[in-house]
Amino acid sequence: MIIGTWLFTKMRGELVGTDAEGNRYFQDKRVVAGTRRKRWVMYNGVAEASRVPPEWHGWLHHMLADPPPAGGAPRKPWQKDHQPNLTGTDLAYRPPGHTLSTGEKPKPPYEAWRPG
Amino acid sequence: MPKVKIDGVELEVPAGITVLQACELAGLEIPRFCYHDRLSIAGNCRMCLVEVKPGPPKPQASCALPVADKQEIFTQTPTVQKARKGVMEFLLINHPLDCPICDQGGECDLQDQAMAYGFDRSRYHENKRAVPDKELGPLVKTSMNRCIHCTRCIRFATEVAGVEQLGATGRGESMEVTTYVEQALATELSGNLVDLCPVGALTSKPYAFEARSWELTKTESVDVLDALGSNIRIDTRGAQVMRVLPRLNDDVNEEWISDKTRHAIDGLRHQRLDRPYVRKGNKLVEATWDEAFGAIAAKLNGMEGSKIAAIAGDQCDAESMIALKDLLTALGSPNIDCRQDGAKLDGPRGSYIFNPGVRGIDQADAILLVGTNPRAESPVLNARIRKRYVHGNVAIASIGPAEDLTYPVVRLGAGPATLRDLVDGKLDFAQKLQGAKHPLIIVGMGALSREDGAAVLAMARELAEKLNAVREDWNGFAVLHTAAARVGGLDLGLVPGEGGRDVAGILEGCQKKEIEAVFLLAADEIDTTKLGKAFVIYQGHHGDAGAHRADVILPGAAYTEKPGIYVNTEGRVQVGRRAGYPPGDAREDWAILRALSERLGKTLPYDTLHQVRSRLVAVNKVFAAIDQQAPAAWGPFGKAGATTDVPFKSAVANFYMTCPISRASKIMADCMASRSHLMAAE
Repeated sequence: MIIGTWLFTKMRGELVGTDAEGNRYFQDKRVVAGTRRKRWVMYNGVAEASRVPPEWHGWLHHMLADPPPAGGAPRKPWQKDHQPNLTGTDLAYRPPGHTLSTGEKPKPPYEAWRPG
Repeated sequence: MPKVKIDGVELEVPAGITVLQACELAGLEIPRFCYHDRLSIAGNCRMCLVEVKPGPPKPQASCALPVADKQEIFTQTPTVQKARKGVMEFLLINHPLDCPICDQGGECDLQDQAMAYGFDRSRYHENKRAVPDKELGPLVKTSMNRCIHCTRCIRFATEVAGVEQLGATGRGESMEVTTYVEQALATELSGNLVDLCPVGALTSKPYAFEARSWELTKTESVDVLDALGSNIRIDTRGAQVMRVLPRLNDDVNEEWISDKTRHAIDGLRHQRLDRPYVRKGNKLVEATWDEAFGAIAAKLNGMEGSKIAAIAGDQCDAESMIALKDLLTALGSPNIDCRQDGAKLDGPRGSYIFNPGVRGIDQADAILLVGTNPRAESPVLNARIRKRYVHGNVAIASIGPAEDLTYPVVRLGAGPATLRDLVDGKLDFAQKLQGAKHPLIIVGMGALSREDGAAVLAMARELAEKLNAVREDWNGFAVLHTAAARVGGLDLGLVPGEGGRDVAGILEGCQKKEIEAVFLLAADEIDTTKLGKAFVIYQGHHGDAGAHRADVILPGAAYTEKPGIYVNTEGRVQVGRRAGYPPGDAREDWAILRALSERLGKTLPYDTLHQVRSRLVAVNKVFAAIDQQAPAAWGPFGKAGATTDVPFKSAVANFYMTCPISRASKIMADCMASRSHLMAAE
């Protein structure tokens, strides 16, 4: 957590809500006519932008006027849980054939003769 | 020579050429679809319009207009541009907009030229024309909606391939290119249709949706699947050979290649030897290089030289053959042979090459085929003979198998007796040959790889000398080989030395236990059951006949996987280049032999490819002259003697399967099935 942002949040922030991961979302206390209110997020843990779920992402970027309702936005049965970007972690995707990937190795591009 | 002015630049051009060719001489590229250098002129696509003065006040199709003296040609005027744009718009009325899913995408003439002359939107609201796809066999995929009716395929099939199966029905918008009766094309050159098609109407079936042209690495190399040594371009993606395309060489293959050359490459992905094996007990067991060499050394060390023999295969590069020969010499063995089929060839160079060269066929005015079926043995060379026939004024006769060669051939007889009659001047054709200025005698392996081969060869020489076919300005004695390595092997002297045994002698020796170790360098065309109890070392790239019998297997490289020098049937030395690496533990062949020689304590005196090639030149100077062809030294050869009555057979019974690579190819098997289906229908 950056001290400047923490101080700014203390002085000017108004808590709007919290997502399932515990990230807290704030907006500017003051309302200035003709400008839109600043919105920001205080991460619960590592500051990693991809941890913001899509419904809060929409609000944060002023695509949605209202924050998602408490308890999360209504979900369709086919929607999957939000997953942050895993690049750089142990769980990152590795193509088959990568030295660190598990599972089946790709076959060589030729079929070898074996004595019968 | 007429003088013309092209876009204001004056130029003197040869008489009798077309305006389009004159523009090309001036360095200008004229857009075209139907015009092709090696086909007759159709003049139906109208893309090559130019303005010509003096002439009618409208643009002219330059491909069909002969140049005349004092002509003024304009290729860039607004009228020309507008006319070409109009033609392009008409062509695109019915051409589908499916470039993203079209295999021709990226190498399509229409796509390229639409960039220059295309209109960026359509002014037509009607539905596009729909044409049923045609079935042209296992190699050519059709998508006839894309056809722009340039008729190149029809002209190729009729003129070059000599099969009048393709044609057009209907007129105007209803025109369709079709085979009339649905059937596969009965030609060994059908792959060239795909190259000729300027759009994606005819595409390669085995290559369909495999790769895009810009993903491929292009390597210029030489083909080894027949003895012609067609110039090819190998396109690879990663380790995989994706396709083979012809490379232009007017002296060898013009711009055609046979279906085997083009499509047998899937055989390079099957049945590959990728690790050494050593026979333990009755089983071949995987081994390391060290173990394999150890097993050979244990067997050969101390063995008498005369008990060791080596046979070189049909697709070996010259480098590996010289390494084999040097190794055998070091081991003190004279038993080496490169003529698996037992051809009786070992005289002066003039006795075993195609002396007049492929270009010589164009000059010949009487052609005699002896014991050969060029259509199966080398389809591209056969197309060259057909080209000569189409040009007119040539008499062609054959002694040997009666086959449809795509041009009329007078069949004089079947066996050596007929050749004798011809030499004695008893047949009518003898007069024709006598009267010819450039008589050409093509002798095939069918006539030479038999018991009385030497006598037949002597008769052919007698005939050539009697006809005065071998003289200062013309050598009409031509041997058509079936193996890409044969001329190279003979040039390097891979024939039995003093007291040595040839292939038949080696096999006989194996059975009599006089030969105890045999080295097979990719030699699969011999009868391996006759190897008896001998210790067999097989070095090659495919698990074929030789590998099954072997006691030690050394995995080598196929022709796309090693740099190598090959000498084609004309005696032309050509350099093949490496397009990829051999699979697994396999290595380049000469390097394997070099490493083995060290283990045997007879280290060969070369460590780099350059040194091996210097050795080649030291053995035979012809290897210094790359891509050159000339008639070679003439001298006495052959052995006059009694001949049998057995008729000549073609050395290639089945065009599609002649070598380990083509035998491992599924596509070649499909072609064979389709061809036999066709034969059965007839």
